[in-house]
Amino acid sequence: MTNFEISSAKVEATAGLSVRRHVMSAAILGVLILLSAVANGLWLKILTSVAIYTLTAASIALLYRRLGLVSLAQVAMMGIGGWVTLRLAHGTGLPFEMNVLCGGLSAGLVGMVLSYPALRMRGLYLALVTLMAAGGFAVLINVIQFPNGGDGFTGFAVRSVAYMPRPLIAQSDPAYLRYCAGVTALGFLLIRWHETTRPGRAWAMIRRSEACAISAGVNVTLYKVWGLALSGFLAGIAGGLLAGNLQLLDARSFPAGESVLIFALTIVGGAWHWFGAILTAILYRLLPAFLNDIGVNGNAAYIIFGGALIHALMSAPTGLAGQLSDAAMAIRRRLKRGRT
Amino acid sequence: MLAYGLFLLSGLALGALYSLGGIGLVLLNRATGVLNFAYGAIGAVGAMIAWQVLNWGGPEPLAWAASIGAGLLLSLAFGRLLAPGLAHREPVVKAVATLGFAIALLGLMNLIWSITPRSLSLTVDKQSVAVLGVRITGTRLLAIGAGIAITALTGVLLARTRMGLMMRALADNREVASVLGVPIRKVETTAWSVSGALAGFTGLLFGDLVRLDPTVLTFLVIPIIATTVIGRLTSIPVTFAAGIAIGIIESMLALYSPLTPFRVAAPFVVAIAALMWMQRGRYLTFAGED
Amino acid sequence: MKRHRSTIIAAGAVLALTSGSALAAPKCGLNNGTKATGQPIKVGAVVGQTGPDDFSASAKAAKAYFTCVNANGGINGRPIEYLIQDDQWNPEVAGLVAAKLVKDEKVVALVASGSFVEMGVNAKLYAAEDVMSMAAACAVSECFESKNIVSTNEGPLPSSVGAAQWAVTKLGSKNVICIGLNIPSVGQYSCGWTEKYMQSKGLSGSSILMDPASADMNSAVLRAVASGADTVLVNLPAGMAAGFLKVAQEQGIRDNFKWISSTPLYDKAIPGILGDHWAGVMHVNIELTPIEGKGPDATNWREVLDKYGTAQDKRDTFSQSGYLSARFFVDAMLKLDPAKIDRKSVSEAIRAIKNEKSDLLCGPYYVGDGDRHMPNHANMMVQIAKDGFKVVGECTGVDSAYLDPIIAQEKRLGIGK
Repeated sequence: MTNFEISSAKVEATAGLSVRRHVMSAAILGVLILLSAVANGLWLKILTSVAIYTLTAASIALLYRRLGLVSLAQVAMMGIGGWVTLRLAHGTGLPFEMNVLCGGLSAGLVGMVLSYPALRMRGLYLALVTLMAAGGFAVLINVIQFPNGGDGFTGFAVRSVAYMPRPLIAQSDPAYLRYCAGVTALGFLLIRWHETTRPGRAWAMIRRSEACAISAGVNVTLYKVWGLALSGFLAGIAGGLLAGNLQLLDARSFPAGESVLIFALTIVGGAWHWFGAILTAILYRLLPAFLNDIGVNGNAAYIIFGGALIHALMSAPTGLAGQLSDAAMAIRRRLKRGRT
Repeated sequence: MLAYGLFLLSGLALGALYSLGGIGLVLLNRATGVLNFAYGAIGAVGAMIAWQVLNWGGPEPLAWAASIGAGLLLSLAFGRLLAPGLAHREPVVKAVATLGFAIALLGLMNLIWSITPRSLSLTVDKQSVAVLGVRITGTRLLAIGAGIAITALTGVLLARTRMGLMMRALADNREVASVLGVPIRKVETTAWSVSGALAGFTGLLFGDLVRLDPTVLTFLVIPIIATTVIGRLTSIPVTFAAGIAIGIIESMLALYSPLTPFRVAAPFVVAIAALMWMQRGRYLTFAGED
Repeated sequence: MKRHRSTIIAAGAVLALTSGSALAAPKCGLNNGTKATGQPIKVGAVVGQTGPDDFSASAKAAKAYFTCVNANGGINGRPIEYLIQDDQWNPEVAGLVAAKLVKDEKVVALVASGSFVEMGVNAKLYAAEDVMSMAAACAVSECFESKNIVSTNEGPLPSSVGAAQWAVTKLGSKNVICIGLNIPSVGQYSCGWTEKYMQSKGLSGSSILMDPASADMNSAVLRAVASGADTVLVNLPAGMAAGFLKVAQEQGIRDNFKWISSTPLYDKAIPGILGDHWAGVMHVNIELTPIEGKGPDATNWREVLDKYGTAQDKRDTFSQSGYLSARFFVDAMLKLDPAKIDRKSVSEAIRAIKNEKSDLLCGPYYVGDGDRHMPNHANMMVQIAKDGFKVVGECTGVDSAYLDPIIAQEKRLGIGK
């Protein structure tokens, strides 16, 4: 645990230069917008997936980094957000943004429900409770299915699919990529805003010691619940975006194993650095798609992927983002030394 | 009334499988602090190798040995070669790392054994007893018997032997145990081997009773984890009982038609409910690690 | 067919002169023995290869056929470049690879796709880009209810209804229980229409739907026993079906029921796996004609795979179906001016396919411009024997209200029986 705290302190110290951070995130967004104009059909889709799962990874990293909580149910949270988004899109004809927002809020509510166990447990037990929830969700969604334009509460009927409309301003694939990147950036700003204001300070105290936080007058329960709700909300938004990407969702995309996998990749990407979430999404969606595209057999890709996962967990305790940031710092130091 | 009896017995047979899987997971977790997500995959490799041996015309005892041996070796390989690199990490990280192993094993199995319908049949399938009109095959009796025997055996092992004492010491507090001179490597090697052998044995039974499909067997680990959650990852008798209870509940839900489609969720729902009940009134403010 | 035969004779003569190995040479396309060297025509396929099951047999058969066509004059001199993509049973990946094929590679059509997830995800893309998919291994309802997708196989609905229909007429079944998957576009779709068929005949039908991840086969068997049915229709993927039947054997309930199944059990490995217990008892519906058929297409299919495929390529129903999709596609392409082959002309040519016949199919194959397609809706029954399958029911048209729009379409298009 201690090496995390040290590295987190280090990150805080360096990333405190928030100007550089904003410049970098603006640069990433700029690159994405540029790419959306030149990328072909395949890469547009891959980058859209990466943008969406970046938000999911950020929601996992937020919980882990700020509250030390592990959620193995974030893909299920995406499913909840996606279900509500689809249900409203097919049932009400409200604009896309409203549907996604409601999807996010519903997942946020479920996140609040998860805070019930989270106030009583942590570590592996809490992680397993969320895993059980994810397992239950996988069964539930397999039975009720995602709305496809049918009638009734579930909005599902055995019939040909009705596709959910995309936002008015983002009908085409390139525009939808820019849209998703924009929403994800907003999500990052929301996280950043929380971290730099009162909730962030409260979370920091809770992370150190709950006793300490209470004695300082922090409402531990409130801020824990709030953290879980925020994380669920972000994952729910990501689920809504995913529904808009394919314009439908398939129950088979949400098995419990996926939630575990994306958590593992969040650790690999680096939960302690803000761009770790982007690396996570790249590993989760871009790497397999790339291997598939260059013709690596899917099963061989599984072996490579599994091996790389173990290797990365063993060799990079602060994640790839931590390694990158250490390397960048070393280079900077050397440059400085060279100058004098 | 007869219907209840039927589904009860059928649930007992299913529960025995859950229990057997759960015991191996708890045993390993107690001694090494690793919750092994690759347990299902290791068992699946064992079952596939056993199928291969039988398919080549090998004798059945050899198939059993191959399955158990393969499980032991794979588990030991992970435990000795990879797990030490993660020893200083949190339990959750150790657990998710094993998922990487599971994925790699699954890919390997599907590469070696192209996907096609297969089935295992063992001599014990052919014997059966009839209870209340339900026939219970020797394989299912074996699963129940093995569950009880292994629960009892591990109880004795942990309570009476020196190795068991060391395992308990390790489970309670690794740092203190190592200061006290517990040979951590030796204890862990034993735990990984025993748990791997159990995975191979369980995998073979699963391959026979559920179906011989690497993907299904690999991901069955998730409902099995439900039994260990109820046993708080430490209690083998509770895990055994939880497995049986979950199996019976899952089977009995088939009688109540509005819930029938959801009955596969029984392990998860039961685990959450049990955990919430056990944690009632607890509030985690000044608590320690977990 | 006549054109086909005359080219065969001509090509046979050429081959006999050039190679002397023409005896069992497969017949493909122009069949002139000349390697096609023109500008390649890109054709795609999306298959579910990595995942719980391998759905790539259809594309592998099509690949072998296209290789054979390319070695035999191609599409009037232009070879086919066949791009097979794996959707890994993941809807997102299915969207990716289809975008790659349709938008980046600009394939003129998709041929012999086989997947559980691809059709539902991509039907919209295919319609928007107006590219036709002549699929070959469909298992979900979406595949048969989309404007731009037409499959050579039948899917679970005609196969289950066909099995029930045969059991009612030949075995005197009065009450059928359908054991299916609880995936709505597969299980509810096929078992649901089987129940409707039974009701339409004044008989009774019910369903037991199982979760694909379920470890528990016992309770499905017990529920089947409790249902009061006289016939069990096993409508599950082969591996799961074998698991179900094993438990049924354990419980010794074989003789209490008549046993029928949809196509998945028509697999070479199944008689060996099920063993003697089910020989002569289990009846399986088959969507195409038997694998060991003696007709020209059945023979040619095997020869194409032997010469241009690999030993590992499965020789099953999906493989037959993929071969046929590819052959119908090539025949339609050969009618086009090779210089003017683009997506628009190809989609038109595919829609114009009408009354194609093959000994691998019970009925004629056609496409047409309808908003749904199911050209293949007549099937056969086989019985599991000790070491293989025995035909017990000849080609019969499936009798289901589901087919009403299809039959109306056929009337309009003038598809003759």
